[in-house]
Amino acid sequence: MDQRWRPTVNERDFIERALQSDLRVDGRRPFDFRRLKILFGREDGSAEVQLGDTRVMGYVTGQLVPPYKDRPNEGTLAIFTEFSPMADPAFEAGRPGESAIELGRVIDRGLRESRAVDMESLCVVAGKHVWSVRVDIHILDNGGNLIDAANIAALAALSTFRRPECTVGGEDGQQVTVHDPEVRDPLPLTIHHLPIAVTFAYFGEGNIMVIDPTYKEEAVMGGRMTATINSNGDVCAIQKAGGEGVMSSVIMQCLRIASVKAADITSKIKNEVNSYTSAKALQKVKRLPASVPQRDNISDVAMKENTDGALEVQGAKATSDVQQINKELPSIVKDKQEDVEPMLTEWNPEVKSESKLIAGESGLSAVLNSLILVDMVSKFHCSPDGAHARCYSLSSLTKSAVKYGRMEKRTNRKSQ
Amino acid sequence: MEEIRADGRNPNQLRPFSCTRNPLDRAHGSARWAQGDTIVLAAVYGPKPGTRKGENPEKASIEVVWKPMTGQIGKQEKEYEMTLKRTLQSICLLTVHPNTTTSVILQVVGNDGSLLPCAINACCAALVFAGIPLKHLAVAIGCGVLEDGEVILDTSKAEEQQLKSFAHLVFPNSRKSASSKAANQKEEDSEQGLITSITHGVMSEDDYFNCIERGLAASSRISDFMRTTLQKQAPGDA
Repeated sequence: MDQRWRPTVNERDFIERALQSDLRVDGRRPFDFRRLKILFGREDGSAEVQLGDTRVMGYVTGQLVPPYKDRPNEGTLAIFTEFSPMADPAFEAGRPGESAIELGRVIDRGLRESRAVDMESLCVVAGKHVWSVRVDIHILDNGGNLIDAANIAALAALSTFRRPECTVGGEDGQQVTVHDPEVRDPLPLTIHHLPIAVTFAYFGEGNIMVIDPTYKEEAVMGGRMTATINSNGDVCAIQKAGGEGVMSSVIMQCLRIASVKAADITSKIKNEVNSYTSAKALQKVKRLPASVPQRDNISDVAMKENTDGALEVQGAKATSDVQQINKELPSIVKDKQEDVEPMLTEWNPEVKSESKLIAGESGLSAVLNSLILVDMVSKFHCSPDGAHARCYSLSSLTKSAVKYGRMEKRTNRKSQ
Repeated sequence: MEEIRADGRNPNQLRPFSCTRNPLDRAHGSARWAQGDTIVLAAVYGPKPGTRKGENPEKASIEVVWKPMTGQIGKQEKEYEMTLKRTLQSICLLTVHPNTTTSVILQVVGNDGSLLPCAINACCAALVFAGIPLKHLAVAIGCGVLEDGEVILDTSKAEEQQLKSFAHLVFPNSRKSASSKAANQKEEDSEQGLITSITHGVMSEDDYFNCIERGLAASSRISDFMRTTLQKQAPGDA
């Protein structure tokens, strides 16, 4: 069963002839990259890269291991590449083929020997415990130029990976305690620079070269060269394994083009990583259990803090409202890309209608209660959000009061 | 007294579902199925000529490859592959293309509990998108049993670790009934069988039958979702 796709004579002819007039089959110019999209998963250290049709997923994990004997105070970095048969019917499951191994080696050389990731900061107890970082690269869709896409996936995943914080203690200073991510924030890896791989394909006896070949161009090309360069212009690795002979002046030109492209891609990666990290940090600050309608605590909060008898009645009503919502919520089954927290959006309308009842009460009592509620909210939010609490409207104050009640219960549960 | 689960769901509430049609370019059919944070990507390569040694050449055969997020392929992955293969064999029409092999490859993108049901749903969707002839759809759901005998649906990873026992159930999809008379529906429901059932932990018979009942009810909702997603086509398609 030969699964390998072979280009027809017509396709080969067409691609080569078009390149002689500087035209590529998908309409790009010879030195254009395809559209690059970097997406991150929910966990730290998982990234998916789409470079045109090529899709690669990178996943980083870490664990504590004893170090190598000849490097007792350095951590280890290992790259595992799997060419999944999902990407191409020609790939076989099981043992990685030569191109899979070559890809793994090129990425490994770019990261390890250029010291892009700081290994010494991964040491916990010299000679006994170091962090071993494992990068798994899964090729999901082979649309050509796997090396570049896999490299970007590995870099994006390493940039968002967080390892748990651990402290050394005990009597002999050898006991290592690894802290839970909830207790202490996990730490990022120290990455000095980002080595970007840029692949060139040669056609027509080494005269014509293109960047970022597609799957069909790869089948027709005469030779390939991958240059791993960082944004400072340092050449981290070059891989040219056989293929067409190319003049040295052409190689120098390729390196110059590669450094320009590397700077471009580096800034893209950094932007994406920054926006992901800041979005995640924001989520942490506002972290509230979005959809746990507490049944008993609302009346507690209302009765504890207010002096106005009227609000007590309202508090009881709030309880019954929330109870109703609890039973009414149907099983929510949504189609693609919709709000992941459906419960919150459905719950709010009920709370808003309730707050209107409060607003209907005498202005003074309402103001009094709003002040008390704001006080509670700002005390609890010891974050910049506390400053905003004072500008909240009444409806959102009620929301916050309810959330405060839930947070209280949560901290009570934690302290138990 | 209703138990409130860690993420605030009711016992009968499922996580938000999403299904993406053909995200991959090379595969003949592919689907990315997400149930909350559990995401599985399934790709199908249509009938290839020839069967493996030991397979019956008078029928089509299905080959499943399961790729975990990290680590080497071990026994757990082999078990998943075998379960999926047998489940898919029972929903595909195997006599349409005899002496062929259809490959299904799965990649785990995120794991937050109910991984096997998510994978089965993804495979079923991918087979439909690839155009492989099926008898009916396979709808999978994970059910957990709490200490007081209460059944919760669509367990998350944290819940699965704490629960004494849980079950992964696969049902055929519910038929669309023209009339919505409750009596008729009950009879139809009792005719549908259970395709696959994998349980973990110890549970009493009553609990198990409870799980099946709840799972069946949930499966009708999931089949409705499948029906709408799998039917959606680009404008201009016949």
